[in-house]
Amino acid sequence: MESKFKEAVSGKSERCNDTDCEKVADLLNAVVDGEVTAEEQEFFNAHIEDCISCFESHDKQKLLKGLVSGHLKRIIVPESLALSIKAKIQETV
Amino acid sequence: MSKEEKDARFEAELLPVLDPLYNFAYRLTLDEDDANDLVQETYLKAYRFFDYFEQGTNAKAWLFRILKNSFINEFRKKSKQPAKVDYSEVEGYYNTDDVEGESGVATTSDMRTQSVQDLIGDEVAGALNALPVDFRTVIILCDLEGFTYEEMAKILDIPIGTVRSRLHRARNSLKEKLEKYAKSMGYNS
Repeated sequence: MESKFKEAVSGKSERCNDTDCEKVADLLNAVVDGEVTAEEQEFFNAHIEDCISCFESHDKQKLLKGLVSGHLKRIIVPESLALSIKAKIQETV
Repeated sequence: MSKEEKDARFEAELLPVLDPLYNFAYRLTLDEDDANDLVQETYLKAYRFFDYFEQGTNAKAWLFRILKNSFINEFRKKSKQPAKVDYSEVEGYYNTDDVEGESGVATTSDMRTQSVQDLIGDEVAGALNALPVDFRTVIILCDLEGFTYEEMAKILDIPIGTVRSRLHRARNSLKEKLEKYAKSMGYNS
């Protein structure tokens, strides 16, 4: 009972230890960027299933990446740019 | 390769990268004229060294690398100081406290739903622009342009380990700047 309470407060289960949390924190960026090996991904997934605080960190990191990739407006290229590039090239050749 | 062949290949393989390249230039210089000049300079160099470009390889990464080098070597010195975005000015504006206070009159729920996407975009741009250029660069390359760590290492001429650590620090910095805003939007950060 007591351990369940601790678990709820800290967000960590008995299977979860700080070394694993550190490893997961180190992998966080590589995971959201799809730059991990299959084994690393497996370890990561298994850990966040049990550890609420690491699960939340993962969520936050995905959100941060999504803010940039999904909300940053693209700047419209001036219509004349492609033409002036081609013209400049012909001038200098 | 004849001049006609070269021109045709140049147009077919390199010009389609114009849009991401211009966006990258703009995010580096924060100025439309400077971005224009930087992109033109990049394409001129690319044309001059086109014989060294291996057909079928990553044209986008190649052009980004040339642009980044131009920016560092020449452009940075002669360009105008990038427009300073005073993040603290916009920071407090969308704060929940302000919205619920007297100034909340202007922020009706209709306006909120209409422009919430724009507001988020503006806020992200403001926070990103306030980062040092090296941090800004890795976030743009990774999150906006979707380059892999390996491609980023080649574009930036740094080891992959440095890409990882720079990205880590850059995201922490960006997170810090956006945290207040995220809270006011109801994200529990």
